[in-house]
Amino acid sequence: MKNILLATIAVLGVTSAAYAERRLNNLSKDVAVRHRRLLVKNRFELTPLFESTINADFRHIVGGGLKLEYHLGDMLSIGILGVGSTAIDTGLVKKIKPTLETSTDNATREPSLAEFNAHLNSMPLPGAAYVSLTPWYGKLAAFSQAFVAFDFYFQAGLSYAQLKSDCPTTICSDPAPGMSSGPGGMNPPDNNPNNDAPLNDGSRLGLYLGAGIHVFLSDFIALDLTIRDYAFSDNPSGADFNANLAVTSDDSRFLHHLFFGVGVSIMFPTTVKRTP
Amino acid sequence: MVFLLGLALVAGTASADDKKGGKKGGGAPPAGGGAQGGGGAGGAGGAGEPEIEIEGEGGGEIDMGAPEPGPGDLNADLAAQDAQQNAVKAGPIKRTPLSWKDILVVVRKPFLKARRTELLPLFGTTMNDNMVRHYTLGGELSYYLTDVLAIGVEGQYYIHSFREPFDLVARQARRLPTVNQYNWSAALNFHYVPVYGKFAVLDKKLVTWEVYFTAGIGAGQSEVVPRDTKFPGFTNLLIMPNVGASMRFFLAKWLTVSLGIRDYIFYDKFEPTDRSPTMNATADQAKDNSTGSLINNVMFQVGISFWLPTSFEYTTFR
Repeated sequence: MKNILLATIAVLGVTSAAYAERRLNNLSKDVAVRHRRLLVKNRFELTPLFESTINADFRHIVGGGLKLEYHLGDMLSIGILGVGSTAIDTGLVKKIKPTLETSTDNATREPSLAEFNAHLNSMPLPGAAYVSLTPWYGKLAAFSQAFVAFDFYFQAGLSYAQLKSDCPTTICSDPAPGMSSGPGGMNPPDNNPNNDAPLNDGSRLGLYLGAGIHVFLSDFIALDLTIRDYAFSDNPSGADFNANLAVTSDDSRFLHHLFFGVGVSIMFPTTVKRTP
Repeated sequence: MVFLLGLALVAGTASADDKKGGKKGGGAPPAGGGAQGGGGAGGAGGAGEPEIEIEGEGGGEIDMGAPEPGPGDLNADLAAQDAQQNAVKAGPIKRTPLSWKDILVVVRKPFLKARRTELLPLFGTTMNDNMVRHYTLGGELSYYLTDVLAIGVEGQYYIHSFREPFDLVARQARRLPTVNQYNWSAALNFHYVPVYGKFAVLDKKLVTWEVYFTAGIGAGQSEVVPRDTKFPGFTNLLIMPNVGASMRFFLAKWLTVSLGIRDYIFYDKFEPTDRSPTMNATADQAKDNSTGSLINNVMFQVGISFWLPTSFEYTTFR
């Protein structure tokens, strides 16, 4: 009985091994794609770009800039980008402004048009330094005519933003928002956040995330579409957020600033190597 | 014991040889089979059956007439297709193809949609409203007339939540926002698929995908969110054309993942700014004096599609 059992195991083992041999050939260890054009490996990528915020609350940030990236390999690259931007009021702000009073009335909590406008900030210079991963590459056919290569990439790194707000002292006149002022603190807080400084300008450091696609129009030119998220501490309205009747640094919170960018990437060197 | 082991080894080897020979020469004869039989190491296969023998660097063999993978196995299909293509490039070919069926003119699509029905449960969210965020639960049923053209119907139920500025505007600017919520929508859509392609994931796995555009016409309902709850809101019936672009990723012969952007365009009516016990107090009065505006409700949508029938057959040669 024991012999029969051992023999059966031996038969199963041998036939299994034979089956495995039958199913494999040298291609089983081969690369997924042969003679692949290495469109990014060891190349510099220089990208003039345009970008705009997505669904901004108070001001759209639109601008043009430059991205410089070096591809260490097929999938890994490092890069920096900077964008010079201007600000455009959103539809929400355009609806609010005509309803605000032109004269300042400190007896009410309502901001005047000048107070509201002066507290909003803009973002003249967003930028980032990042590491990029390109895990997906492929080719596509458009209308069965145009056959182009593309890749998807994901980026993560540090964001930088230069913020700007311009509130003149005639509007932002409270010397000590939320605190008593005067000799011996004889003047109590005015509880009016509309005349406080907005505290939403200066430099900000934060996190950067991005995802995009290269569509290669030639071996060295690609259309570059990206969604970017510059996340940092900000108070875009420059007003009292936490309802303590004063604008302080506590009103800033960690916010995501989503952008859509489009650019044209130029790869250097312009010639392309191929895999074996 | 020794006898049994010996028998087992012989049986195993014989089994392997039989299969090898069978694979190389003994496959089912193709319809347009050539006149010459196979030869070489595996030439024991039946004479009169076409075959291709390809010898790689390690002497590996590829059977071009290997059996088709089972239905529903898109990955197996893709792997077999790639193996065949790579095999042709792998090394010197000893004999030329003997059957016109073996001539690869155009790589066939790995996924066919013509005369199939797509059932797509959908989840969506607003992309361009900084006061109210809508989430949608819905579905779309599409029938593909050809591989690139489809007609379908969709329905969505909306759930809303207020975003940060809705509260901020009230507290900071002392203004109560005028907003509408959406309740439901339905549409008749047409889809066109102009772009398809494939990509490698981490240099290992190939995934096929396509881009399709959608245009449709439908209806929906919006409802005024009253600034003052003392006064009733009202609903609007909306004519909602829509346009969009989406991507579809093929996971199996019956399963795909879609994600895309859709713009629902409609003319909506909003609550009048002056409501009081003596003015626009009722819903009808408010509706009569409402103000209107053209709205683009841009939604991001994602869903998993189920395809019927669950498999398909190619009608043309590869």
